[in-house]
Amino acid sequence: MSGENQGGAIVPYSEEAKKPVVYPLRHGLKPPISRLGISWSRGNSLRVTVFRQPSEDSENEVGGKAVEVRLDGRDGEISDAQWRRIAYGSVSPFALLQSRKNSFASLSKISSTTSPFDAEWWEYVLEYSKDISSLLGNQTSTTQSLIEDPKEVLKDPEPSNLKAAWELMESFYADKLSQAWLPERLVDWLADYDSLFSSTQETVHSKLVDFQKDLVSLQVIEDEPKYWEVMSSALAVGWLDIVVKLLRLHGSYQLDQLGNRETENGLVEAVAVLISKMPRMRPELEAGKLGECFKAKPDFMKAWEKWRAQIAKLECSTFWIQCAHRQTQEGLRNMLQIMLGNTNNLCTLTCHWMELYIAHFLYIRPFTVGLESMYGLAQKCIQLKPMAASHRLMGLLIGILGENIEVVLAECSKGFGPWMVTHAIEVLTAGSHQADTLLHEERDNLGGISMEELHRLVYAQVLSSHPLTWQIAPIYLTSCIKQGMGLLEMLLYKQPVDHNQLLLKNLEICRLYELDSVSSNIMKIAGMYNWKHGKKGSGVYWLQQARDEARLNRIAQQMFDSVGRSISDENFRQWEGLIQLLGSEPKTAGGLEFLHNYRDFKKSLLQIRDGKTTDAARQAVESLISLMKNPCTPQRFWLPLLHDSLKLLNWEERPLLNVLQTNLLLNKLQELSIARLRPDFIEADLPPHALSSVRLALATNLGRTTLEEQ
Amino acid sequence: MAITGVRTPPQVHRFPQSKYIDAVRWLPPLSPLSKLAVLAIYDTDADSPSLETHSISLPASLTPHSQWTPPTRISSLSTSHQSLVAASTLSGSLHVLSSAMQVLLSVDENSGFHVGPISGVDLTGSECVSVGEDGRVNLVSVIGGGEFKRVYDGNGLVGFNCVKWASPTEFVTGGFGYGLQWWDLRRAGSGGPVLQFKGNFGSQGKASGMIHSVDIHPSRKHTCLAGGSSGTVFAWDLRWQQQSIVLSGVGTGEAVTHSLSESEVWEVQYDCHTKSSNISSSRVLPAMFCSEDGILAVVEQGEEPFELLAEPCAINSFDIDPQNPSDVICSLEWESIAIVSRP
Repeated sequence: MSGENQGGAIVPYSEEAKKPVVYPLRHGLKPPISRLGISWSRGNSLRVTVFRQPSEDSENEVGGKAVEVRLDGRDGEISDAQWRRIAYGSVSPFALLQSRKNSFASLSKISSTTSPFDAEWWEYVLEYSKDISSLLGNQTSTTQSLIEDPKEVLKDPEPSNLKAAWELMESFYADKLSQAWLPERLVDWLADYDSLFSSTQETVHSKLVDFQKDLVSLQVIEDEPKYWEVMSSALAVGWLDIVVKLLRLHGSYQLDQLGNRETENGLVEAVAVLISKMPRMRPELEAGKLGECFKAKPDFMKAWEKWRAQIAKLECSTFWIQCAHRQTQEGLRNMLQIMLGNTNNLCTLTCHWMELYIAHFLYIRPFTVGLESMYGLAQKCIQLKPMAASHRLMGLLIGILGENIEVVLAECSKGFGPWMVTHAIEVLTAGSHQADTLLHEERDNLGGISMEELHRLVYAQVLSSHPLTWQIAPIYLTSCIKQGMGLLEMLLYKQPVDHNQLLLKNLEICRLYELDSVSSNIMKIAGMYNWKHGKKGSGVYWLQQARDEARLNRIAQQMFDSVGRSISDENFRQWEGLIQLLGSEPKTAGGLEFLHNYRDFKKSLLQIRDGKTTDAARQAVESLISLMKNPCTPQRFWLPLLHDSLKLLNWEERPLLNVLQTNLLLNKLQELSIARLRPDFIEADLPPHALSSVRLALATNLGRTTLEEQ
Repeated sequence: MAITGVRTPPQVHRFPQSKYIDAVRWLPPLSPLSKLAVLAIYDTDADSPSLETHSISLPASLTPHSQWTPPTRISSLSTSHQSLVAASTLSGSLHVLSSAMQVLLSVDENSGFHVGPISGVDLTGSECVSVGEDGRVNLVSVIGGGEFKRVYDGNGLVGFNCVKWASPTEFVTGGFGYGLQWWDLRRAGSGGPVLQFKGNFGSQGKASGMIHSVDIHPSRKHTCLAGGSSGTVFAWDLRWQQQSIVLSGVGTGEAVTHSLSESEVWEVQYDCHTKSSNISSSRVLPAMFCSEDGILAVVEQGEEPFELLAEPCAINSFDIDPQNPSDVICSLEWESIAIVSRP
């Protein structure tokens, strides 16, 4: 796809997507392969179905196989499991910020004077930003060993690009307090993340790493030119603690040499002291970092001038002539040149534009304020010392400095994916009104939704595609006003219903967002699924929960057949459990209520068969009457019921049914005879003379009971 | 009333796992300095289940000890005092293992054991009882070598979610419609449960609910503790069969005063760490539950409930350490383990 085509793309895709990626298929089938089927599977996977050419000689061979191929679209730096952990962790901060935003919005409606971006709002955003940042990796200061190795100059915190990017966003947009000392924030930032650029080119960090390896084997450290070069480089980018630590490894500090190298040692120490006294325009420094902090600009300027004067004085000192060690003399004076802001020195000692940029802030233009001048300086440094390869962090930084929100968004999306954009938008909108309007404006080319909503929807789709993260997608979907709820419903319907635990988790989400109709539909789907898979009990349970009378009634008709067959079966007890489950409320049981009566009816009939007394027969008649009275009892079961009751109708001792009851049954029989004429009538599986024998029995009974009642 | 106002908050240690944890159980420790727990793990990306023991030494370490790969995902887990682990799978097989993850016994799903997933197992001594949504109740003897005995076959007309032994011959099951069933093997000829209970806690809008977990205290086998839908935790006393004592839930009954959770209660256990102020035999002992809305809490009849954990994600299972009941291990929805140490 060409560059022009991407102009209309809603979500920018990375340039790397153009390069073909080869995924080997391990299907283990013997050639020849005749057919391939490719379809999307869950998430980022493709399902590839491989079919063999059917041949006679290999009957035992497998004819085909389906394999899944995971398309790895993510950067290798962060594993899938880590991404999920970040996704889980960002739910709470995101939800908290949204609810605060909502309450702020309702407050500002009441009193029009307070804007949501006033006062303490940005403190909430900063809190959010810090919460998110803490998910992305440990702070560099936490990895400190108890016993410090004097020769260990570098810690190894393994920073990530994602965290580096987030910190940039935080410094420039979320942290209002840091606006006054942005250059110093960048100094800290590079100190933490310079190693990230080492993979594509040389950096001060990589120089230090190399030198640290040699350090152990070096006998006379000050004779080594690399020692002085590395120190100067570290000084140029402001890693003062490392420089001072290295300086103190100088041979002149050793007790046996201190006597005859007194002047030399004095010079080394003087430079070390000057370095550690460097004035910094910032409120505070982390423990272990060197420099003197100034909050107010006038104080800082005064201290700065004084410090520069001290350096200049040392530079012109006569002690240099007395320093016998040539490398020390040269090296130290070089370092003084750096501190005096010698452009050539800075340019040669730094490895890429960002390092040079930092050196400019520290030694040439310490009073730089405002993004515009910072951007200008950045452009100049890029010209002087371009990077060997483009880096996603640099793209982001340039976008931020250039105050171009669209570029920042695009760089976030391209370099760090949907998670980053979705969460960074919160910080961006807090940072500027321009970004706020840009992101919240409803756009026709996006189908009427805002950029913010678009990016949230994209992220929610990513979450939805994984079986472990789909449950957190609703948090993001519900924050999308226009299309969120529709997509949420689709997501909920899409979840499998075959395991109760998962099903219940799904229904819980419906409950939280008051999606009662979705919930009842899912229960219906689950009910039918279970019913069809032979789990009749749970099928009935779910349909009852959904209050789906129509389906319960249909199930009842099917049930009647199997219940009818099991009359003589000893296993009739197994129905007890289901009947118990149905409960006594007729409303929730629907057509299945007949099971209750039918159970009682059959039980009594069984007792009669076993030779029990008239009492059982009376009970059977009562159950029969309530069954026949119940409008839920399907018509097609009337005749089987009556046929089963022949013995009751012809009870020898005395008629069991009174006139009223007999009439009811006769009426039903009449209704049945009429219904039989209809074409859709289903004939019960009974002997052909069943109807007539029932009619005869009823007539006889009517006669007998009329006689008795008289 | 006991003093509930001031409680020292428990210490919580979290261990992210980067795999889904289906169930957790404590095992008797291998050494006095560390604890041992068995985790039923499911790797979603690789679609591979595993059963792993991890030794835990607080405050900071969780180290894998031994592991075994089950044929499919584990659905239920039970441990015995003899360091045995019984694990049932979604495909319907049952496996009994030693704490070193050596398989002692397996019942194949193709042997007509269960149809579909087994939803609950309980292991005590040498007997293991298993139940499923298929309505089957089976007994497996650990010394029997893979043979099983069918206690009941509900043919899918009923289904069970959980099971717990009350004595060597009696056990209780729970299932749909807040139903509890009491079984007695000595009266197995009757072909069904000896006693049944159907809870009626239907609140507005919801018809009924499910039981997900049951527990029985060894000293009071007449009282079954059950937990299920709508945050319901109740006790069923066999001596008063027709009623139940609701400990927590959103039911309409006037007895319900406290409810910490409104969603599914996934697991309940009697909590022997919380000392009851009133030990009359008619009162229900303190109970702990975990829920879909992320609550791990202790409830007691007539007392204010209190929370041990309130997580942003579901707590799917927990287990109170029988050796040291102040420690509780739980599995969280977001692929992690939490260990709660109570003071």
